[in-house]
Amino acid sequence: MLDNEAVQALTDSTHTQHRTVVAHLAAAASRRRRGTVVNAVVPTTVRVEAGWDRTTPGAAAINRFRLDDHGLDAPTANLAASIQRRCGLGPADAHIGATVRSVSSGDVIVLTSDPTDIAVACTPSTPQIVRI
Amino acid sequence: MDDLAALDELNRLLDADDTETVNTSMRLSVSLRDAAALAAEHFGAASSATSMAATALRQSLETLAMETALRIHYREHPHARPSLAEIAHALAVQDGSPLAERPDLLAAAASAVVRRRPDADADDVLLWAEAQLAVSA
Repeated sequence: MLDNEAVQALTDSTHTQHRTVVAHLAAAASRRRRGTVVNAVVPTTVRVEAGWDRTTPGAAAINRFRLDDHGLDAPTANLAASIQRRCGLGPADAHIGATVRSVSSGDVIVLTSDPTDIAVACTPSTPQIVRI
Repeated sequence: MDDLAALDELNRLLDADDTETVNTSMRLSVSLRDAAALAAEHFGAASSATSMAATALRQSLETLAMETALRIHYREHPHARPSLAEIAHALAVQDGSPLAERPDLLAAAASAVVRRRPDADADDVLLWAEAQLAVSA
């Protein structure tokens, strides 16, 4: 799961962390080649924050990496709102936290520039948080 | 159709509405069909042989699309291509492996592994590095 900074890094080939994020996607593809089911996802609220409109020509390159959208259903939106209110985080981080908490957190890896906020958003779940 | 156009069409098809189905003329050996049916019925590997085949095909095609997107990206941005050691390091980080703190060991392992197996992947590098750690412990 990518946060806003990870999306920005992936979008901009001159970003200092671009190669790092690409390496993580390549790692996911490598695991898939071995038969492991791995999906790269981006919360839709992160896409809003990142200004990533899939329908624009400028998004063609990042669209090709097959980062699946993860939207908020009603229960997860309620949880995200609760996280945002309780932790004082932005909607995108709250969306990440709510998503992690609604699945088996041991199965989730979050690429983020702000591990502290993501850890707070995900509590009590403990996903693998990777600083980029 | 060039690679880029083919990839975009592949992604469009993979992301299309999946509710419409079709009987295909895809030919399978009888034994493979029966093995899939047995696996589904006896071992609960999938709800049906058809479901098992469709899931495996989707996994394979999505992986191909991801790899192709990366290959095209490397062609356009050669500096963005991570080394085998860097991909192994990403895996170690994702796994929470102690090797994430040993990029030096992963670089040495990647170098050693590809000398013996030029087609080695990042998991091969991790395994090699873990073995080196175990031997030296």
